[in-house]
Amino acid sequence: MIKDLLEKSLRNSHGYVEMRYHKRDTFSVSVKDGNIDTLNSGSIAGVCSRVLLDGSFGFSSTTIVEKENMDKMLKDAYSLAKISRAKKKRRVTLAKTKPAKDKYETSVKVDPRKADKQELVRSVIDTDKEVRAFSKSIVSDTVILEIIDDELLFVSSEGAEITQRIVRCRGNVTAIAREKGNIASAMESIGEQRGLEMLKKTPLIDVGKTAAERATKLVKVKTAPGGTYPVILENRLVGLLAHEAVGHCSEADVVYGGSFLADKMGKKVASEEVTLVDDGRFPNGFGTMKYDDEGTPTQKTVVIEKGVTRSFLHSRETAKQFKVAPTGNARAWNFEFDPIIRMRNTYIEPRRYTLEELAEDIKEGFFLKGGLSGQADFTGEFMFGTQEAVRIKNGRFGESLRGVTISGNAFEVLKNTDAIGSDFIMRTGMCGKEQVNYVGMGGGSLRTKLLLGGMR
Amino acid sequence: MRLTEDTRLAVKYCEALGVDEAEAFAQNVQTSEVVIERAEIQNERVKTQCGIGIRVIKKKKLGFAFTSVLSKESIEQTCRNANSLANVSLPNPDWVSLPTAAKLPRTPAGTFDPETADMNANDVLKLTMKAYNGAKARDNRVTIDDGKFSVVRGEAAIANSHGMEAHGKDTLLSGYLICVANDKGEVSSMSIESDVARSLKDFSPKRIGEVAAERAVASLGPKAVTSFTGRVLLDYDVAAEILLQPVVASVNADNIQRGRSLWAGKLGEEVASKKLTVVDDGLMPKGIGSSSFDAEGVPCQKTQVIKAGKLDGFLHNSYTANKEKRKSTGNASREGYNVLPRISASNLVVKAGKKKLDDLIAEVDKGIIVRRFSGNVRTDSGEFSGIAKQASYIEKGEIRYSLKETMISGNAFQALKNIVEIGSETRPTIFQAYVPPVLVDEVNVVSK
Repeated sequence: MIKDLLEKSLRNSHGYVEMRYHKRDTFSVSVKDGNIDTLNSGSIAGVCSRVLLDGSFGFSSTTIVEKENMDKMLKDAYSLAKISRAKKKRRVTLAKTKPAKDKYETSVKVDPRKADKQELVRSVIDTDKEVRAFSKSIVSDTVILEIIDDELLFVSSEGAEITQRIVRCRGNVTAIAREKGNIASAMESIGEQRGLEMLKKTPLIDVGKTAAERATKLVKVKTAPGGTYPVILENRLVGLLAHEAVGHCSEADVVYGGSFLADKMGKKVASEEVTLVDDGRFPNGFGTMKYDDEGTPTQKTVVIEKGVTRSFLHSRETAKQFKVAPTGNARAWNFEFDPIIRMRNTYIEPRRYTLEELAEDIKEGFFLKGGLSGQADFTGEFMFGTQEAVRIKNGRFGESLRGVTISGNAFEVLKNTDAIGSDFIMRTGMCGKEQVNYVGMGGGSLRTKLLLGGMR
Repeated sequence: MRLTEDTRLAVKYCEALGVDEAEAFAQNVQTSEVVIERAEIQNERVKTQCGIGIRVIKKKKLGFAFTSVLSKESIEQTCRNANSLANVSLPNPDWVSLPTAAKLPRTPAGTFDPETADMNANDVLKLTMKAYNGAKARDNRVTIDDGKFSVVRGEAAIANSHGMEAHGKDTLLSGYLICVANDKGEVSSMSIESDVARSLKDFSPKRIGEVAAERAVASLGPKAVTSFTGRVLLDYDVAAEILLQPVVASVNADNIQRGRSLWAGKLGEEVASKKLTVVDDGLMPKGIGSSSFDAEGVPCQKTQVIKAGKLDGFLHNSYTANKEKRKSTGNASREGYNVLPRISASNLVVKAGKKKLDDLIAEVDKGIIVRRFSGNVRTDSGEFSGIAKQASYIEKGEIRYSLKETMISGNAFQALKNIVEIGSETRPTIFQAYVPPVLVDEVNVVSK
């Protein structure tokens, strides 16, 4: 029915027009300190239209999915394209793609739509109990389970008609420990694009225990010292590095703006150990889709191959500018936003070393664990927070300290990367770039050199 | 008054379903925004977001559901969803009641500006161009990396089964610009400048552009300093992020009650320098967080949080207030109709000191000024560490040069006690905090 509405609107259009319908059903339960804090279910739906008229985009959206509003929406988009045209220097043209008529659905074994809500509530309650019982110093916790069920429809004046249903589940535990006037918190999460069978693969309770153990440990210890050290970045942090520090520099819009990689195509930017990939179809990846939000099929894009820049990440617009094929990286958070270039599942390929082997040659350094949020400039300068820093002395792991923010230039870090572990892990993330989006980030633990912004 | 009718309908329908208590929060937000990317107008958007969130309580059990479709059928279905979630929920022994009806204060002056409400996308584009041209005119070495300007018209209605009803409208303009300067192959660090206001006449896009440009140019030719521990001057946004963010978290009554705040049980104790006084003022004229009622329909008020360095009060919503058998401070907030109310500051106002920024700089024998911070602040423990972006080295009371890859770290709670001086010029920043620049001692400055 919605498809008919959209197609009716398309019939009266001129120039290039794409319309998206997006319905996001969410279910979330969170338990704080033994009590249910939220138990929510809801649905947000809306449509948007993006028009390209004489090289100028216009965009408009509405949550009122009725004929009259949709006509107004399309009119708004045209008028925006017209009034902003005079102010734009560049005329947009789009790379050609074959308009697809296709369907995609996350493979789901245990469909969250049919889930026993009571059972889900119970799994969260059970995790909360375990976390609080973990040690005497745990004073508070929050356990969250969330299911995001997206229904997407894409139609365009070129004849594309793509339906996708994407189901994501994720869990998150925060544990807070207090002891002798000190406080420490630890966060851990799981998440995948799949049905509720995710919880069988990695039970929420295990995640909770990891967080509780870390908070219990860190409440007793000091913060790591500042300075430049050889470090091992835990696999859970390597994805952050791949995404924040390197990935963003390979987004063609950022490249166009003069990012570090702008003049480095075919050039060596990292050590030979490093192969960095942005994969739109990584199995069960949080950022996996068969088509992006411009209707372009996604693909596995090798950005850096054995240290050498091989490809950027493109939308149809930048692909045309750069004279390459679009890579399927145009994504929108929801119907309120136009698609922009975003990563999907970004990772550094694993190599052969164990953690012990990575530590072997470090005289004095740190094993950094547990990610916090991060940021990066297009020059490759980045920072992100770590939760825990385990001291390494003469190749041996020692005591744990509180983690600190680390920073540096990503490409220097990658040039200094001399060994990568085999312990590959793919995690979930939320990436913010004017609008947020779900992404996957992964890798194996790696050894490099970094500036720690710790206490003196 | 369509939203008010929607909330009434929802509450009535929930009552008929046999719940003990019901609350409906409906919202309609119209946004026009312009996005600048790669030095060009990238996009313009107009959006309409509306919806309703319904909270029900049944034998102390909570259920919540929301929808973006405001038809009678959809609202009724959402009520049934909330009700069925309450059925599978667990009773919360701490639950007392939703707020009862109370007389609301007058709507704070200057929170709705008819001129702003009438602005269309073309008007927002004009604002954006003022900022853009402001930056370009200042220095030809400057390029604009990105930016965003938006005008928001909001309307909200709340009703609950205790006869509470509230309805309000507001307007908000906001914008930022990120600039870099290029000089003979050298690229500066990114500078950012922003502004936020309730009305068009209080919003200055041209100044955003000029300041962003000036700052980008000023950060050219950076040098390194050797690591030291000492005085750091935190500019508005940085002071808000590093110092006030942990304050907001620590005076949040929910964190206090759960033992997540180091300030639990410390009312009346000294938690900061005597120079620091902080008030949460929900009724401040023109305040970006001002309203006559909070997200639960409770009257907003002025709450003293820190008085001359002493911890003076906490911020409550009705749930945390009921737990202590006291009155809510009207600090319930929600990010949208699709989430339950939490606690947040309305306008967290730091009392201004007497010295202008230049006078603060003059107080520093050796130190740095940080205008942008890219790092992490642990709001519970107060630990912060990150890169001092847009930072300069100060020696003998004067700014000497901009800084290369320098990190700062410390503990916010310690830093609050180490405040040397508070600036005289306050402005709205992130976290709805009105903060002047703050000079702090004993911060770690770490460089390679």
